Amino acid sequence: MHIMEGFLPWQWCVVWWIIAIPFLFMGVIQLRSMIRNDRDTLPLLGVCGAFIFILSALKLPSVTGSCSHPTGTGLSTMCFGVCITSIIGAIVLLFQSLLLAHGGLSTLGANMVSMAIGGPLAGYAIYRLLKNSSLNIYITVFLVTAVADLVTYVITSFELAVAYPSQVGGIIASFGAFFAIFAVTQLPLAIVEGCVLALVFKYIIALKPEILIKLQVFSEDQISRAQQQGSMVTRTDG
Amino acid sequence: MIGTYKLELITVLAILGFIAIFLFVSSGGNHEFSGSDDIGSQKISELTGKPVESYQPLIPQYEPPSAEIEATLFALQSAFGALVLGFIFGYWLGQRKSSQTT
Repeated sequence: MHIMEGFLPWQWCVVWWIIAIPFLFMGVIQLRSMIRNDRDTLPLLGVCGAFIFILSALKLPSVTGSCSHPTGTGLSTMCFGVCITSIIGAIVLLFQSLLLAHGGLSTLGANMVSMAIGGPLAGYAIYRLLKNSSLNIYITVFLVTAVADLVTYVITSFELAVAYPSQVGGIIASFGAFFAIFAVTQLPLAIVEGCVLALVFKYIIALKPEILIKLQVFSEDQISRAQQQGSMVTRTDG
Repeated sequence: MIGTYKLELITVLAILGFIAIFLFVSSGGNHEFSGSDDIGSQKISELTGKPVESYQPLIPQYEPPSAEIEATLFALQSAFGALVLGFIFGYWLGQRKSSQTT
C-alpha cells in the first residue's frame, strides 16, 4: 500500500500530511498519559505493536500474481483506539521509508492516512458496531482486523485516484484501476490476517484477561464466556 | 477436543487455503510476484503517460543497494516484533504461574 516517494504531487503530499497530524498529536497525548498512569497495560501495547511490525514486514504472494503485505493494525485499534495505533503505524512507516525506500518522507502523510489512520478508523467503526452484539467475540476480532486491513488498501486506491484521475472516466475509473491492483490482491491476505489475530486474541484472553477487562475492550461477561469456549489454557495452567 | 482448538484449526485451514491458491496461481501463467506497490507505480505512469523513471523523489532518500539487503532489513523488522512478542507472552505466562503458586 505504500505510495512510492515522488509518485504523489507535492500538493497532495501536503493535504495528507495535514490530515494525519491531528491524529498523531492526539496519539502522543494519549500515549503519554498511558505511560504515566497505566503501566500495567504497556505489555499489551507491546504485543499490538509487535504484530504491526511483524505483519507489515511480510510480503505475501496473492491471487493477482503480485505481492502485498498485511497491516496488523486491527488488534491495536480495538485495545487502544485509533490515535495510539496511528503512532505505532507511523513508526513502522517511517522505518520503511528511511531504510527500505518503501514509501518516502513526502508520501509518508498519505501512507499514514491509509495504513495508520484510515484502516484503523474503519476497523474501529466495525468494533463499536459489534462490541455489544451477541456475536462471538472472535468473529468480531476477525471482522475488525480484516476490515482494517482491506480499507487501508481502498484508501490507498482513493489517494492515487484523486491525484491521478483517468482521462476517460475521471476519478472513478482510475479508482477502479487502482482498486483492482491493491484491494483484490489484499482480500485473501485480509482473511488470513483476521484468522491469525483472532487466534492471538484467544491467547491474550487466556493469559491476561484482566487487561482487556480494564481497558473495557469487551465486557467481563463476554470474556469469561470466550474463556469457557477455549478452555485449553485452564487445563495447561492447572 | 476439536471444540477447544476450533480457532487454531480454522487458522491452519485458512493458511493452507492461502498456500493452495498461491500454488495454483503460480503454476499457471507467468506471474512475477512483484510488489503491488510497483504495479501501482506502473499504473500511475500508464495513466499519466509519463515513464516510471521520470518520477524522481521529492525528498532524497536512502535506497537499499540490493534485494538481499532489503530482505535483511525486512527480516530485522519482523524479528524485532517477534522478539517483543515472545518476551511479553513469556512474561505474562510467568506472572500467571507465580501468582498461582503463591
